[in-house]
Amino acid sequence: MRFFVLAVLLSTPAKARAQEPSPDRIKELEERITKLEGKSGNSSLSAFNPVMGLAIDMAHLHADDKADFKFRSAEVSIEAPIDPFARGWTIVNGGPEGVGIEEAAVQTTALPHNLMVTGGRMFASFGRLAHFHDHELPVVERPRSLDTFIGGETQADGLEISWLAPTPFFLTATAGAYNKLGGENPRRANGTARSLYEFTYLGRLATYADVGEDHSIELGVTEAWTPRRFVTDTSIPGFDADGDGNPDFPNTSAGFTTKKNTWRTLTGVDLTYRYQPAAGGLYKGVVWGTEVMQNNERRFDPARNTPTDRVRSYAGFSYVWLKLGRHWRPGAMIDLSEDLDRARRLTRTYTAFLSYDVTEFQRLRVAYSRVSDNVPANPKNDVFAVQWTATLGKHVHGFRDR
Amino acid sequence: MKSLLLLSLLLAAADARAALRIVATVPELADITRRVGGDLVKVDGLARGPEDIHQVVMKPSFVTKLNRADAVVYLGLTVEHTFLTGLLGVARNDKLMSDPVKQCAGPGCIDCSEGVPVLERPESLSRAEGEIHPLGNPHYNMSPENGPVIAGNIARRLSEIDPSHAADYGRNLKAYLAELEPKLAEWRKRAAALKGVKAVSYHKDVVYLGRFTGIEFVDTLELKPGVAPTPSHLARVIQKMKDQGVKLVVREQHFEPKTCDWVAAQAGAKVAVIGVMANAFPGTETFIKFSEHNLDALLEAGGNR
Repeated sequence: MRFFVLAVLLSTPAKARAQEPSPDRIKELEERITKLEGKSGNSSLSAFNPVMGLAIDMAHLHADDKADFKFRSAEVSIEAPIDPFARGWTIVNGGPEGVGIEEAAVQTTALPHNLMVTGGRMFASFGRLAHFHDHELPVVERPRSLDTFIGGETQADGLEISWLAPTPFFLTATAGAYNKLGGENPRRANGTARSLYEFTYLGRLATYADVGEDHSIELGVTEAWTPRRFVTDTSIPGFDADGDGNPDFPNTSAGFTTKKNTWRTLTGVDLTYRYQPAAGGLYKGVVWGTEVMQNNERRFDPARNTPTDRVRSYAGFSYVWLKLGRHWRPGAMIDLSEDLDRARRLTRTYTAFLSYDVTEFQRLRVAYSRVSDNVPANPKNDVFAVQWTATLGKHVHGFRDR
Repeated sequence: MKSLLLLSLLLAAADARAALRIVATVPELADITRRVGGDLVKVDGLARGPEDIHQVVMKPSFVTKLNRADAVVYLGLTVEHTFLTGLLGVARNDKLMSDPVKQCAGPGCIDCSEGVPVLERPESLSRAEGEIHPLGNPHYNMSPENGPVIAGNIARRLSEIDPSHAADYGRNLKAYLAELEPKLAEWRKRAAALKGVKAVSYHKDVVYLGRFTGIEFVDTLELKPGVAPTPSHLARVIQKMKDQGVKLVVREQHFEPKTCDWVAAQAGAKVAVIGVMANAFPGTETFIKFSEHNLDALLEAGGNR
């Protein structure tokens, strides 16, 4: 190209070809071409448009003689710096249940003392896989323990502040306050006002260590605390607490509200080991991730909303994911999840999966899961899944979801 | 734990008053920055060298380095897009802010591609063309000819960041170029043996090296940039190699050898293994050694027509 342009420039000035161009002339033209070739790219106003991407995720699931094609989601992400002090992003997700804003947040970029504040609707920093979007997970179905204990992804409307310690090693501390934690957490609606006692507060510490050149370990501890949970008992319509002969709530079916001693804590520990040989880059290596959670709360009879005892339940998963090259990535996961109401009821899910990355932007995955619980009469459940995920444009979830 | 934290903070504070802290994304930039910056800089590297530059892993320890850095030296043209942008997004350093187009925005960003004659700017952008770089082919570091441009950029930007030592950076640059330029002249002479040699490479990252050596790269084993070879594509490449008398296959060190060896055997060609970054091979940790190694490998496999 360069020589072509040079040739054109040299040939145009007159046919007076008789005399050869001087070395100075050639040098001058070369410099002009170099400037043109080295000129910075996009100077149009469209350069201010945000970066956009779209992830399409679909699956075929077969479980117990029943099968269906599942369009799982189309996730549009839009991201850009807002000004020198903040960046913003939004993720709009459309699926079988409709279209919704999955994330829409503003994050500071220039606060002093290594602080960073994120506000809006975000995926809160609980654990590691809990804030991954579905199509970014190593398995087809979100681990049952996360679905049960968090309620889907860690979607939360609120504010998060994180601090990177000025230490030679990586250490971050995060604190957050949200309406609630978990996009499908049924305990409380998102859009209602509440007292400060009813918010969910989060604290997280995370650290990382390189172990030699190719190995690393990440460790995180998180606690989410909701001081009060108000539940209105609907089991006694027209309840008359003061005995005056009139129902306390004549226009509603509400009985009384349980307020006391209804705090909830969700505690998690996550550990990730990675083997990443330098020559393999992102293509080769091993990831072993384990997360354990404890949920501690006063439960409510789902039919009557009457309070039951405080229940402490445990859940967690452990998975190994092998990266064998540009294409193949097999792995296995074990998930153990206790029932939130009956802690002794344990559901076990064993999953084997195999991903084939066609390119960086398109992935096929097959997975087989066996689900069983410790109730003697209950049958085992076998689930076979095929997943197809594709990305259009630029669609990355950044450092945290690496 | 408390005393460990205190000790770390004290160490960090003591370190802070020393030289400029510079982070370089690839080893050859770390090398040139050390040469130009001398004792006035303390340089940390991110990529080690044997990686695929497009696939460098984002490690939290890199975040710590970038958080404390006065500047980051990078190749630019989006070649570090898989790791640098993401790392800067969480590094909380207002001198080096993440930028989706330029990768880095702020007074500490040292983009070494400034002034480089960029080749293969795409006329249209489509993922159907593979993982193309919108600003042009970013592998200019593989041409020794670009060494002086890189060093000049580093010296200029260090002088802007630390103007009180501008004269020192200028002096160091001059000393480095006094070493590099005779090498360049020597390499140009040696590369004459490669002029007109036809070759195929695994990935489309050799255009600058091709321009320096005169090697004519006629195809790639990858179907498109970043898209792994398919059997039918390889069959076409082998046929093309036979038709055009291509006797050289260039493999970038991080790609698996099996495919290149097989293609070379089918077409009766030799394989040259090169690095895309310094330190891809032991003993190639500097820009000069890296350039020399690549030239030696090409001459050995393709120099005797």
